[in-house]
Amino acid sequence: MFLANPDRFLRFTRPVMPVVWVLAAVLLAVGVWLSFAAPEDYQQGDTVRIMFVHVPAASVGLMIYAALGVSSFFALVFRHPLADAAARAAALPGAAYTLLALVTGSLWGKPMWGAWWVWGDARLMSVLILFLFYLGYMALRASIDDETRAARAAAVLGLVGLINLPIVKFSVDWWNTLHQPASLLRANGPSVTPDLLAPLLTMMAAYGLFFLAVWITSIRTEIVRRRVLTLRARRAHEA
Amino acid sequence: MIDLDMGRYAAFVWPAWALSAAVLAGLAARVVIAARRWSAELERLDAEPATVGDAQSPAAPEA
Repeated sequence: MFLANPDRFLRFTRPVMPVVWVLAAVLLAVGVWLSFAAPEDYQQGDTVRIMFVHVPAASVGLMIYAALGVSSFFALVFRHPLADAAARAAALPGAAYTLLALVTGSLWGKPMWGAWWVWGDARLMSVLILFLFYLGYMALRASIDDETRAARAAAVLGLVGLINLPIVKFSVDWWNTLHQPASLLRANGPSVTPDLLAPLLTMMAAYGLFFLAVWITSIRTEIVRRRVLTLRARRAHEA
Repeated sequence: MIDLDMGRYAAFVWPAWALSAAVLAGLAARVVIAARRWSAELERLDAEPATVGDAQSPAAPEA
């Protein structure tokens, strides 16, 4: 709640933002190095290196939607402008991560499954629907000129999209799918060998921090943008 | 030791990594450019006399 005030948010994030950018860049560099230093998988060969960009994009893309949905809830119920700014700022990186998950998954699927895409596969379709929710959210905001109305309509859509998150997560357990089941968050611990687990976890942390850097920067920009619009309106009224 | 020889899977591994790098770089560039533009616009408005109308500034940045 401390950061709910836009001025406090700007003051607090000013020194934090460059630190998060630098940490994300360092983790990305380490993650890339570890990804190509890791041995190839005994079954999948070098295609396993696609996992190091596919899994982080998919898992963080899913978490970004959770952030968008929770922010939408606060924007809708408490009419908090910073929550709306947070939801708006999460949409584009969320869509970008989810698109990366779809495309890199396709590039991994072709050599391993023999298909770029499988219509009707539960995991693939639920992630595609997640991507469409992101696109719908951005399109809805862009299609309504009145920013207050656009924010409310988009917040409702953002909340509805939350229903899809457990479907994406558990689709591999609930339905038949070519996609492998969860290999990190399992009752018996990760099934990924430690040689591959280190680069994977590093890249997941890097993708998460990179999103955080983009998100904080975008929320700050959104606060500034709204101040500019308010100032312009005030000047126009005074003229 | 780093292994950059992706063998027969190079046509799948490198596009996945290249696209990921391009999208992350694009995201970073977009948010940094937008942040600079809007901050500059706010500074410009703050520096202007309060009575000057500025609702349709052609130099205004896009969202």
